[in-house]
Amino acid sequence: MNILTILLLVPVLFGLIIILTPSSLRASFKYITLLATLIQLGISIWMYLHFKTGAAYGGINHEDQYQFVQKLPWISLNLGSAGKMQIDYFIGVDGMSIALLVMTSLVMVIATLSSWEIKSNLKGFFLLFLLLDMAVIGVFCALDFFLFYLFYELMLLPLYFLIGMWGGARREYAAIKFFLYTLFGSVFMMLVMVGLYLSVTDPATGNHTFNIIQMMNPANYSAQSVFSIAGHQTILGMPARTVGFVVLFIAFAIKVPVVPLHTWLPDAHVEAPTPVSIILAGVLLKIGGYGIIRICLGIFPEVATTGAFWLGQLGVISILYGAFNALAQKDLKRMIAYSSVSHMGFVLLGIASQTAEGISGAMMQMVSHGFLSTMLFFLVGVLYNRVHDRGINHFRGLSTLMPKYTAFVMIAFFASLGLPGFSAFVAEAFTLAGTFRSSSVNGLVPYWMAVCGSLGILLSAAYFLWTLQRMFFGPESLKGGDVWKIALTDLNLREKLTLAPLAIIAIALGVMPSLVFEKINDSVLSLIQFLQLK
Amino acid sequence: MEDFLHSIQLLNYTVAAVALPLFAAFINFCLPVKSKWAGWVSTIAILLSCVLSARVFAGVWNNNPVHAQHVWFTVGQTEVMAGLLLNNLSVLLLLLVSLIALPVHIYSTAYMAHDDRRSRYFTYLSFFCFSMLALVVVDSLVLFYAFWELVGFSSYLLIGFWLTRNKAVQANKKAFIMNRIGDIGLLSAIIILFTQYHTFDIVQLFAQKGLVAQSVIKDGVWIAATGQMPAIWQYVACAGIFLAVAAKSAQFPLHTWLPDAMEGPTSVSALIHAATMVAAGVFLLGRVYPMFTGTELTILAVTGCFTAFMAATIALTQNDLKRILAYSTISQLGFMILAMGVGAYASSLFHLATHAFFKCLLFLVAGIVIHEMQHVKEENNLDIDAQDISLMGGLRKKLPITFIVAVIGSLALVGLPLTSGYLSKDGILIQAFEWSEGKSVLFKLIPVLALLTSWLTAFYVTRLMVKVFFGEFRLLKSYPNAKLHMHDGGLQYKLPIILLAVCCLFPLFSFNPFSYGHAWLFSGLTSLGNHEGESIYHTIIPVLVNIISVVVLYAAYVIYTKPNGFKFQQSGFLYRLSYNQWYLDAIYQRFVVKPVLRLCSATFWVDRNVIDGFLHLLTRISGYIAKLTAWTDEHIVDGFLHLMASIVQSIGNFARRFQNGKIQYYLYSMLVIVLVLFILKILI
Repeated sequence: MNILTILLLVPVLFGLIIILTPSSLRASFKYITLLATLIQLGISIWMYLHFKTGAAYGGINHEDQYQFVQKLPWISLNLGSAGKMQIDYFIGVDGMSIALLVMTSLVMVIATLSSWEIKSNLKGFFLLFLLLDMAVIGVFCALDFFLFYLFYELMLLPLYFLIGMWGGARREYAAIKFFLYTLFGSVFMMLVMVGLYLSVTDPATGNHTFNIIQMMNPANYSAQSVFSIAGHQTILGMPARTVGFVVLFIAFAIKVPVVPLHTWLPDAHVEAPTPVSIILAGVLLKIGGYGIIRICLGIFPEVATTGAFWLGQLGVISILYGAFNALAQKDLKRMIAYSSVSHMGFVLLGIASQTAEGISGAMMQMVSHGFLSTMLFFLVGVLYNRVHDRGINHFRGLSTLMPKYTAFVMIAFFASLGLPGFSAFVAEAFTLAGTFRSSSVNGLVPYWMAVCGSLGILLSAAYFLWTLQRMFFGPESLKGGDVWKIALTDLNLREKLTLAPLAIIAIALGVMPSLVFEKINDSVLSLIQFLQLK
Repeated sequence: MEDFLHSIQLLNYTVAAVALPLFAAFINFCLPVKSKWAGWVSTIAILLSCVLSARVFAGVWNNNPVHAQHVWFTVGQTEVMAGLLLNNLSVLLLLLVSLIALPVHIYSTAYMAHDDRRSRYFTYLSFFCFSMLALVVVDSLVLFYAFWELVGFSSYLLIGFWLTRNKAVQANKKAFIMNRIGDIGLLSAIIILFTQYHTFDIVQLFAQKGLVAQSVIKDGVWIAATGQMPAIWQYVACAGIFLAVAAKSAQFPLHTWLPDAMEGPTSVSALIHAATMVAAGVFLLGRVYPMFTGTELTILAVTGCFTAFMAATIALTQNDLKRILAYSTISQLGFMILAMGVGAYASSLFHLATHAFFKCLLFLVAGIVIHEMQHVKEENNLDIDAQDISLMGGLRKKLPITFIVAVIGSLALVGLPLTSGYLSKDGILIQAFEWSEGKSVLFKLIPVLALLTSWLTAFYVTRLMVKVFFGEFRLLKSYPNAKLHMHDGGLQYKLPIILLAVCCLFPLFSFNPFSYGHAWLFSGLTSLGNHEGESIYHTIIPVLVNIISVVVLYAAYVIYTKPNGFKFQQSGFLYRLSYNQWYLDAIYQRFVVKPVLRLCSATFWVDRNVIDGFLHLLTRISGYIAKLTAWTDEHIVDGFLHLMASIVQSIGNFARRFQNGKIQYYLYSMLVIVLVLFILKILI
């Protein structure tokens, strides 16, 4: 059996076990889920170790260069004169997906460990959690657009309930806002998907196909179809391919999130319980970046090139706007949420540059932010669990009360603000280097964008250090007085065991960036080559 | 073959010298917070580093540089290398840093002995040593940047070491953020260089006939063998480096973090904020020197000179012992930058080396004085500031050894003959005058201002010394009954300061106490800078500087020792300007910090009200539309249906009446129908 399929089935299988376990054993659900995620982590690490590198494994637009591939006919309908409708169960990974798969598996383990705080309706929670897990993994390995879309939409449902049922005070508002935002993007994505399906034919069978890799080859488009490159069709007076790109981009930009489509994120984060925040920040945002690389750049490369300036522009705006907003926050979790907006702006900027350094930097930033935001949200959860408050001004001098906690906060903050030795530094430095090189190499993104982007690094130091100074240093003073002082115990063993691997990974990736770069490099080069040929 | 083995050996020694402090930091991190061993672990590590550095220094100084590198990682087609570069500059700094760090470590074991978080202190201190030693030997700009920021990070940790003190934690935040401004300058410069030359390698870039030296600017285009871009970016790169230098070496306008950084333990101030880290900016200039030509050098000279002057004027009126020394550090760093600007490359680095010893010494002395004052304060429960020099006085009798070494350090700082400071500082002044020769009057101002600054230095140093060590103990005026138990301290205090004091004298650097040109350190570094020319300045300047310095020194001594003698007016504009440190902090607070915070609130307002407001508007509009359609549904669509139904119903009701079973009605109906048909027929 294909290893990727097993990876996908593990959460489903354990979900079934949870369904069948009587509710009287509800205390065991978290252990069952933990086991599922640990198995998943083991499988993805095995895949990472066995992932072959070299020019022959670039992936991107070469179907034969993907690894761990499984392709089975799934839905096959004979539509008479309209041909045959063919949807495949088609999964596989290249460098882009493997890095994110491993990251996702680990984040899922951490999210499970932080689910210890969930006290109500455990069966529902862990079922939805595992469903979400499966959908997320599915998105990263689906190579059939229909399958991709299916997983993509499947993520929405559990997330809506996870926020709406286990969230904070304004959970309903946050959940519906998140749901509508994302749905808005994906509904139009479906239209483009159908349009693409009708435009592309599989050269082997002569039927229309949802195969993403086939969609990357201009030769597969029939001349009169909507999205044909040679056809120059228009939709509402605009070039059809531009419309297609923009629609898909908006769908993914909402996930990233790109300013001004980001306002669901702070609300969703603030209201969501810790494990959901972790998944949202750690994994979900990366689906946006991954989608832009795999689908927007892959299927509409020439539009991505002409629009590179605007992508870069949006990236820079996100970096600066997110950073300024983070500086203005009084709620710790909201501050971190805005810092995510700022950090994910680097991803977009790197992608826009279309240089090897830029795209590698963007990928590295996604992996690094996956771990670091997980760590940050877990840390916020630790504090919130103890006193049910997150106001930055409500705490002072926590370092004397919780020295170990403070140590981890400092690691997470300094790693996030791009201190060399941690992963974010490599990611941001190379994103900016790629952005700057772009003008000399392909002329897509102007020089000044890199300089503006670097201002984001300065601002990130400002908001993280200011928070550190206000909450953790100085003489001790708590809003909740002695009650809080008793409640604020230092980290327990489970929390330390959760945080330590994240800190170690952040350092390991910073000292040995080749852990990621080695695996993605061939795919990045292949993508660059693909973008140059168009 | 032997050469090869020799260099391998040197490289191994270097790696060990750099890694030992890191190892010590790791051990201390694992030790309990109050461990007694922490200090010795760090000290032994730095001692070994020092020995190894000396061995490396002996092997490389004035020999062939050693350079080795490995692939670190690959991005796209770029191989990022990591390696070591040992040339005269790096081994000098390697030895200097470990040599200065050693006495500071010994001193710290005593100074921090009673602190509750000793092992943390030594963790940070060793980590700093690791970063600093690595910074001076790495060969790639990426690594350089990494360690550049790590020294800033360790400085952040150490400034805020007493993390319950509000002032300390504000100071470390300020230090890190201001250094970050420099960091993004450096990062931008590195990225620009990488784009232009496709490499991060310092040797390839900045060697004598390296890529940078060969590039030219022609018609607004910056052309190199590897590519070209608009000339403006070469200036941006230089500006970025300049920002980095200004932030790390505390030059105007980014110097304001350094005086605040004095909130850290004094031993830290001595090592990091006086002798080593702050000199990293000058070291960076030394590394990338070929980038700077013409106007850029002049900008350096002007900035350095202005900073030196400004800091000296501030130091004249401060009362905080450490703050005076901090401004003096800024001033001396200004001299080094000035020297770089006028092309006195070797003199600049020479001054870096000599300054490291005497400034470290002065800080350690200050540490002892403050420590003793703190004792007095605690013993008598006084409400005083232990660092305030207006409360001190007459300490020479209580702290004799401290006094003697302080005098040596001060004379070196002033730059009087027989000290190391004389050799390096006069070199700078002489070359500054030579540089201004044949230039316009404005350029001539620079050496003159530098000369003036060195006299100011003589003045504030004397003021400091007199107020601390001479006259009467002024604390007794306010608290006549205070008990005083003061002494020089144990061997762990005495040994480091005596060691450093010896290094402040001329024999370490040159056997000829009057000519900097004969110093081995100077001649070892001249290859990159200018050549020594014999001119009239070589005799005039030293004589002029020293005679007037001695006069100023004596004047200051007289002014401050006589309690009823001449007093300076303490109200004029100049006094306030100096006392308030040129109001720069207030200006930054008002014109930078506040506007940025306002901008932040504005963007958050936009987020809440414009973006979310738009969304809420959309929700409301769709709500209204929904209501409208509901109304339409109810009243128009359903209304139409109801209308139809009622029409049908009324027709039915109407027609029903015709069939009521009475024959007359049927007959009437028939009649009506016949009539209607008839009428219709006629009409149609």
